[in-house]
Amino acid sequence: MNPSEEIAKKAKELLQSKAVECFIGYQRATDGMTARPLFAHAPEEADRLIFDQTCTHNLVKYLLNHKGKATGIAVKPCDSRAINLLLIEHQIERKNVFIIGVVCPGMVETSWNKTSEKVKDICKLCQQHTPVIYDFLVGEPGPEPQAEAYPDVAKLEALSPAERREFWEKHFSRCIRCYACRQVCPGCYCGECFVERLDPLWVGIRIAPSENEMWNSMRAFHLSGRCIGCNQCERVCPVNIPLSLLNRKLEKEALELFKFRAGIDAETPAPFATFKKDEKIGIGE
Amino acid sequence: MLENPLLPHLATLQDVVDLTPDVKLFKIELNDPGIRKSFEYKPGQFVFLSAFGTGEAPFGLTSVYYRHGPLEAAVRRIGTVTRSLHELEPGETVGVRGPFGNQFPLDEYRGKNIFIIGGGIGFAPLRPIITTILDHRNEYADLLILNGARTPQDLVFATEFDTWAASPRTWLELTVDAGDKSWTGRVALIPAVVKELNLSPDNAIAIICGPPIMIHFTLIELKKLGFADNQIVTTLESKMKCGLGKCARCNIGEKYICQDGPVFTMEQISQLIEKF
Amino acid sequence: MSQFISKKGLLSWLDKLAENHSLVAPTRVEGSILFRKIDSTEDIVFNFSNTNLSPKEFFLPPSETIFSVEKKDGQMNLIPEVIEGQTVIFGLRPCDAKGLATLDLPYLEEPGDALYSQHRNKTTLVGLSCLSACPECFCTSMGTGPDDPSNLDIILTEVEDGYIVQILNEKGKALLPEELLVMKDVATPPAPFVSPVPSRGITDKMRQAFDNPYWSRLADRCIHCNICSYICPTCYCFDVRDYTNKGRIDRVRSWESCQSPGFTKIAGGYDPRPDKGPRLRQRFAHKLIYFPEIFGTMHCTGCGRCVKTCPVNIDIREIIQDIQKLRSGKNA
Repeated sequence: MNPSEEIAKKAKELLQSKAVECFIGYQRATDGMTARPLFAHAPEEADRLIFDQTCTHNLVKYLLNHKGKATGIAVKPCDSRAINLLLIEHQIERKNVFIIGVVCPGMVETSWNKTSEKVKDICKLCQQHTPVIYDFLVGEPGPEPQAEAYPDVAKLEALSPAERREFWEKHFSRCIRCYACRQVCPGCYCGECFVERLDPLWVGIRIAPSENEMWNSMRAFHLSGRCIGCNQCERVCPVNIPLSLLNRKLEKEALELFKFRAGIDAETPAPFATFKKDEKIGIGE
Repeated sequence: MLENPLLPHLATLQDVVDLTPDVKLFKIELNDPGIRKSFEYKPGQFVFLSAFGTGEAPFGLTSVYYRHGPLEAAVRRIGTVTRSLHELEPGETVGVRGPFGNQFPLDEYRGKNIFIIGGGIGFAPLRPIITTILDHRNEYADLLILNGARTPQDLVFATEFDTWAASPRTWLELTVDAGDKSWTGRVALIPAVVKELNLSPDNAIAIICGPPIMIHFTLIELKKLGFADNQIVTTLESKMKCGLGKCARCNIGEKYICQDGPVFTMEQISQLIEKF
Repeated sequence: MSQFISKKGLLSWLDKLAENHSLVAPTRVEGSILFRKIDSTEDIVFNFSNTNLSPKEFFLPPSETIFSVEKKDGQMNLIPEVIEGQTVIFGLRPCDAKGLATLDLPYLEEPGDALYSQHRNKTTLVGLSCLSACPECFCTSMGTGPDDPSNLDIILTEVEDGYIVQILNEKGKALLPEELLVMKDVATPPAPFVSPVPSRGITDKMRQAFDNPYWSRLADRCIHCNICSYICPTCYCFDVRDYTNKGRIDRVRSWESCQSPGFTKIAGGYDPRPDKGPRLRQRFAHKLIYFPEIFGTMHCTGCGRCVKTCPVNIDIREIIQDIQKLRSGKNA
């Protein structure tokens, strides 16, 4: 059985036995070649489930719309880290989620009506090919890669501060504040986002370079130590802002400062959400 | 070049009166005498008031044009614009745009019994109807005013209660959800009072305004008493940004509250494709 | 025989225009093709299907100051924004021109929007007809077509070595002097085939399907970002707020989307449309029921941008097909 068939079969069982009310997976999109999310509410709907290298979406965000309801979900390794993130942050309950983890071969570069054989650059850098949390595993786990993980960030770090400023100014000026990056991100779930707060005004509604810079940099900082690297923010951006690069820079810093990678387990709390009285990291010493 | 309809007229706050702990009555005089004269408005219509530096928001006009006094609006402090407005003192400048919306068809109510039922700040758009009826008393039949609020301190327009009650063929009923040490009046929710008063639908119009949940349950009581959908009138509110039908925000189904409303009969509301 | 301009002639004309107009044309910006004010005709992209964002941003900008307030000698002065200078937009497709004609309906209706109307008056539209259809577009089902000159001032059709030119009105005539054109015996290429979408009668079908659980099911995957509304040539919702900058107050209007979670939430927290299903339905009800009923035309030009860019493949063509197939009644 290929992954699509395995997932469809398991999802069907879960729906038939009413172990879950809904199963969230992938189906074919209207272009006949890429993928889109599928919400199967009845066993026969599970027949449409697929899994292949076009299934780039991180479905874990949707679990926040299904709180309190038994839900099944198909996750790639990066997505599975998002589940741990939401568990640590008490946003979902473990007993309500049936996780089908899929060993991931890497996603290929796709956009609507276009697919390719070329594995995405970000997937080539991935160090987690097996999901970190699951109830049912599809695929054979193998050894994890040990290659250096941040060549893209190193390239950014090699620029001078002035060059970096210019780089980000150029990209942020294009932002249209569609908030697709926020909406698709499993780490962004605040009931009232800081950008919607009008009193006091943090950023506000104006779509202009300085406000865009505030929006994008503050969102990145709110994700520091929490981003699990699914790359969805960059994928959905309609004007191609390299958002992953910014988040990965902060991810690298969290790793270097705190030896911490978000979502690897459901126990270790994030560095910026933790206060340890006896911790000294060089401040005031 | 086209006059920009998003540009407010400058106006000055004449007076600010505390109606309740969080509601103030603003009396506003438009600065330009020509605009003041031509700013004709009818009960039911609303304006956008600007607190310059924060923004603007829609408020029902609670005064009547034909008395040629300042524009009056009751403002409850609940959001960013209303908070900024509440910080203003008499003599300061505000912006006014309008009047917008449709109106209560008071001509059609002549000779009828009018039941005015208002909850909290929702009473504000109903006040100009009362003023008009009392100023033209013989044109209308019986008038019942039912004014309700959460607590006695939240009842609006308390200084006018005596004037209203003293008018011929006029009854004033007050009610609160919870009384206090000095309150000797009725303690009951508005729908329960409607039931208790046993209002007759004969030759009557019921005009309700208040929080959505109050309207919902009052409606149920009125229907039980035999009121037809075209005898029940209400005002709908929503988030608005232009008042001109151009920001596409305030629609309920195919109707824009800023253009086709805010006054709607229950019959019109039941025909809307979208149900809130 | 048709009026013709060579590629070289076109570029030299555009260069001349750029001397006293803002010349806006499709150009490459970091992996996207966007309309931008260009400094050199070398930056113009000619070989493209359509831009990522529609040209509506030159008529209803993402953010625009409506007026400023200055306090002087105890007096408050309102200074309305005035649009200066002439603009030429080159490279508009007929679907985007139809988009502007669609925006005219709410925005120029009494009382007309002053800023939009100034932008429209001061802009000349030079369009490019489509020689091939994009896989996602369906303009012929939305009242226009790949060679539709209706809403443009000049339309060009690419042929060998240059373009067939149609000057469509006085504004176009004022912009392009006849001396720059020659008569040439060249055949107009046939309009490409555009896949149809069953839009006829959709308004009635949408009304019938209004309470169908279809909308909640569709909304399961919607992430409620603003992409579809922002890239659409016909969407026009906006938000308004004041900004203070060193004592000067600016009233700014910015794009907003009915899909945004706080769109209908009022001060105090009550939201009449809090659920995903009705919120998503609002978009398609506006486009396929309310706007056509009020203004007599679909609120969609078939450009296909939303189909191409929606992160979760909410596809208006699929929705129209599904709604047409639904039998009337709630339980279909």
